[in-house]
Amino acid sequence: MSDTSISVELNGVVQEYPAPDGEGVVRIVDGVNLTLDRPGIYMLLGPSGCGKSTILRMLGGVRPIGVKTPTEGEVLINGTRCDGPHDDAVMVFQRYANRPDLSVRDNVALPFRFKLWKKRVPAAEQEKRIDEILAAVGLADKAELRPSQLSGGQNQRVALARALVLRPRILLMDEPFGALDAQTREEMQLLLIELFNAHPCVIVFVTHDVDEALALGDRVLVLSTRPARLALDIPLAEPRPRSTLWKRSTEASRTRDKILHQLHESGQDR
Amino acid sequence: MWNPYEPISSNLRTVLGGSAAIFVLLIWSLLSGLSVISSDKLPSPWGVMSAFGQLAWSESSQEIEVEKPLPQSSLAGTMQSGDVLPVERCPEVCSALLAEEGTGEPSSLDCEVDWTEEDAPEGILWCQAQVTGSQSLLLTATMWSVGRVLLAGLRVIMIGVPIGVTMGAAPRINALLSPLVDPFRSAPIVAINPILVMWLGIGEAMKIVFLVLGAIVYLIPMVRDAVQAVPRTYWVSAYDLGATPFEAVRHSVIPMAMPRIADAIIVSISVMWTYITVAEYINAEKGLGQLIQNARRFSAMDQVFVGIGVIVFLALITYSSMTWLKNALYPWEVEA
Repeated sequence: MSDTSISVELNGVVQEYPAPDGEGVVRIVDGVNLTLDRPGIYMLLGPSGCGKSTILRMLGGVRPIGVKTPTEGEVLINGTRCDGPHDDAVMVFQRYANRPDLSVRDNVALPFRFKLWKKRVPAAEQEKRIDEILAAVGLADKAELRPSQLSGGQNQRVALARALVLRPRILLMDEPFGALDAQTREEMQLLLIELFNAHPCVIVFVTHDVDEALALGDRVLVLSTRPARLALDIPLAEPRPRSTLWKRSTEASRTRDKILHQLHESGQDR
Repeated sequence: MWNPYEPISSNLRTVLGGSAAIFVLLIWSLLSGLSVISSDKLPSPWGVMSAFGQLAWSESSQEIEVEKPLPQSSLAGTMQSGDVLPVERCPEVCSALLAEEGTGEPSSLDCEVDWTEEDAPEGILWCQAQVTGSQSLLLTATMWSVGRVLLAGLRVIMIGVPIGVTMGAAPRINALLSPLVDPFRSAPIVAINPILVMWLGIGEAMKIVFLVLGAIVYLIPMVRDAVQAVPRTYWVSAYDLGATPFEAVRHSVIPMAMPRIADAIIVSISVMWTYITVAEYINAEKGLGQLIQNARRFSAMDQVFVGIGVIVFLALITYSSMTWLKNALYPWEVEA
């Protein structure tokens, strides 16, 4: 990515959905202000159901049917108001959404079947990018296998490669490593750090796991219980990959306690 | 303690399945062998076997009649124009005519020429021949029925799958069409047959339309459900990667729904085998349904059993070969 200048701004964002019982509305997000003005890994934490995914989807321009998104406020990407799908952001889901009938390579190449990218990226460039990203996520030797022949971590690598092959300026990750075992998760975190260092971009990373937030985040953003407000915004300066020693340091422990305390408090509110 | 829910080995499965079949065969043999049930109600297994043999392969003697106005092109070499055909040459000309019809070698031949006018070269040649040959009623009937199921099956797939996919993918179209489609899933399709006879007559068209209708009312809702069952993530992910709605359906949703669409096709084609007899009851000249219907009319219970047996066998072959094909094409659902 040559152009790494990127800014994402949420100005007083409010999101309401029609209530499930059909009467009135439920407020999910309640006036969130946030500025992410340089490449970095931004960890989004909060009690379950608090609206983390709603914010993520808002950034990705994925809108639910028949609901104005956002209800109030505005999402600005590079200063441009965004209220629909846009090509700057790509999402990675916990369920990898890989096509089981395609090889790893074809799965990564899937976006190039869509008109949008077919026109934008020449065929030779596509091949080059696919080869590069497969090598970067460590799947170069598995390119011809099917997703069913891969482990969960490897499947998530495929999904990650499919997103990164588009060289997005914003990468949105919705609990991407939530379904993986502890060891695989750690491997994936290291991989993400490597990929980020190679191609810095804005990564908004939703997680449940405080330790994951401490391992990855440039900033840890903790949301309150529903309706979500920004409760904590903690910058972490420690360079990545972060050592076990740092993770056990007083600074880290104190931060962890602070986050857990906030999460716990919101839990009691409910 | 004996546990009936315990998984079993494939050997035991074969043994149990085989012994059940043998048990039924034994009871059947006993009932008919000891004349507990008279043979015109329940034919014996060996009776059914011999009926099968007879239907599958029999020497037949057929009477064939051909009538042609004279002079004919087939006589070009043998007659000059203006010649009068002498009655002695009649059998020779008749043989040529019958050969032209494509029948076998006649064993006896009758022939007669009706001259329209005395001493005129125009006339009607009438030949009657006795032709003996071997034939397989069962094979002919099977071919016809298989042909009808194939023809109707292709149409069901070509019409039903696109409609079902569109309904599954587009909620508006589903809302529009489902009140028209869904009630027919439980409608008595067999009762619709008389209506089809009135609209389309008693020819091939009626039979094919009936088969298509009978299967498509199952196929469309099942294909729709298959498409709706694709996890939302695949839609969201495709849109997010920049797909247009059509591209999302084509590249993310349909491929994911394919195993279940294939299941739907298998079920609806199998259903067709249950409808084939009904389709062929009315004015079928050939086909397994006609064979059963004919046999029933002459109280030939053994032949009825043969017809049913062949249909069951064909349905089984259809089912297992299509299931095999599905597993070969879409192996991931089985692996997962």
